[in-house]
Amino acid sequence: MNGFLEYVPGDSLLHRLNPVAKLVFAVLFAIACFCTGNLAFLCVMLAAGIGMAVSCGMMRQTLGLMKAVAVFSIILAVLLILTTPTGDKLVDLPWGYIGTGSLLAAFTTIVRLEAAAIPLFLTFYVTKVTDLSNSVVKVLHVPYKYAFTFASTVHFIPVFMNDMKGIMEAQTARGVEFDQGGIVNKVRLMVPLCVPLLVSSVRKTNSAAIAAEVRGFNLRTRESGYKQYPMRGADIAVVVIAIALLATAICLTALL
Amino acid sequence: MTIEFRDVHASYDAATPILRGVDFTVEDGEFVAFVGTNGAGKSTTMRLINGLLKPEQGEVLVDGVPTTQLKTSELARRVGFLFQNPDSQICCGTVREELLFGFRALGCLDEQAEARVDAVIDEFGFNPDDDPFLLNRGTRQLLALASIVVLDTPVVVLDEPTTGLDYRECVKVMSIISRLHQSGTTVIMVCHDMEVVGDFAERVIVMSAGQVVAQGPTFDVLRDRATLEAASLVPPQIVDISMALGMMRPALASTPLAAANTLDQMCDAVAAAVGATYSGVRGLEEAR
Repeated sequence: MNGFLEYVPGDSLLHRLNPVAKLVFAVLFAIACFCTGNLAFLCVMLAAGIGMAVSCGMMRQTLGLMKAVAVFSIILAVLLILTTPTGDKLVDLPWGYIGTGSLLAAFTTIVRLEAAAIPLFLTFYVTKVTDLSNSVVKVLHVPYKYAFTFASTVHFIPVFMNDMKGIMEAQTARGVEFDQGGIVNKVRLMVPLCVPLLVSSVRKTNSAAIAAEVRGFNLRTRESGYKQYPMRGADIAVVVIAIALLATAICLTALL
Repeated sequence: MTIEFRDVHASYDAATPILRGVDFTVEDGEFVAFVGTNGAGKSTTMRLINGLLKPEQGEVLVDGVPTTQLKTSELARRVGFLFQNPDSQICCGTVREELLFGFRALGCLDEQAEARVDAVIDEFGFNPDDDPFLLNRGTRQLLALASIVVLDTPVVVLDEPTTGLDYRECVKVMSIISRLHQSGTTVIMVCHDMEVVGDFAERVIVMSAGQVVAQGPTFDVLRDRATLEAASLVPPQIVDISMALGMMRPALASTPLAAANTLDQMCDAVAAAVGATYSGVRGLEEAR
């Protein structure tokens, strides 16, 4: 079973696109979502994101992501509802009121975050991290050190999640009840576990750095990678679509 | 405390079954070793014993009670679990705090617990104020073991307790485990080192592809070459040599040489064959 942000093999159009095209599309798509507050446009963007997930068979992963983003965005939405007194008054508060505008702003935030997150996360599920880092070095001329740092960070996320799971299991076996007493108790019990996680993270990254160093990490240049990442018609079309989406978002903000 | 597996099937995700109908019983006070190749299902079996994993089919009974009816914290009072990697287990700032952690988690931290912790610190020779994360690998493994021993559970499950340890550390860990067993604790151990298995376990359970393929008294199993080969295992060297002697020279097959399971038994047999007496390694040194 694949973990969080781990590549899932496949042969869909998204799998076959140039990694740079996917990355550029995802970034421009996310920027477009943040450039406009037009709810209809954001709903279309969200539908497009879900459509992309369906097209490459990543609906299970996307639903998991949407659930996680929903938790975060609902917290933001509640803050917005309580602190943005706009529109027709619905409920009086000691410091202002909750209006129809507050609810609209909160809902827009949820849709915006969900829409912006999907292509960014899908990029990792349909692209090998090595391809992603090598292609940004080859095509965008990003220094390999930065690309490697980025790739290592992504690579270590599931590793650390797995470590944390192991640490929690070890403590559960010693009688710690993580499933009792609600979220506050869970956080209270988990805080001390950050120490072993941090220690194991530092040990792992240190070992990885030494292993890379002894295998000539510093000798690597842009020419070292043998694999080429040519931009084909479909890749250029994807970038053009992303630019068009961004332009539409900017126009909608400027005109409405 | 008896541990019983009845036709247990288990997996981490439905698509990949790990255990496929495992049956065995570990009686109170036994020392049982689980052997098998990586991926045979040994660690999964251990996780089922302390309730970290629940069976999909069949039953795991701890003292007659199915683990599905017990919370992991309740099982923690009955079954101590030593993980392969001590760094998963260690989470406190000092050795003393680490040993007190289990009592705190189980809600039974009192003067008696403090006294027990002090006794274990003395027994293991720890400095109570040491930072566990700054100890070497072997000492961290000992600390993880101590944090299980201190709770005095009737059953301890050890997942590869000697992995990554040098010979001296390995001997220290195993002598502590042996003392624990002699004091009446049921010991269930996963181990790849067949010499350690031969030296300490009373009974061996061989696992392969998620099933128990053989079980019985240690040397009955370790002398069953066909079963060991089927599970990609090799017997301890002395057993291997004595079996080879019996096979190469049919005249030796019924002699003590072909039946020796330990170094002492082999030395006794060799000494008897040449008309001498053997009185242990010290005796040999004195004779020399």
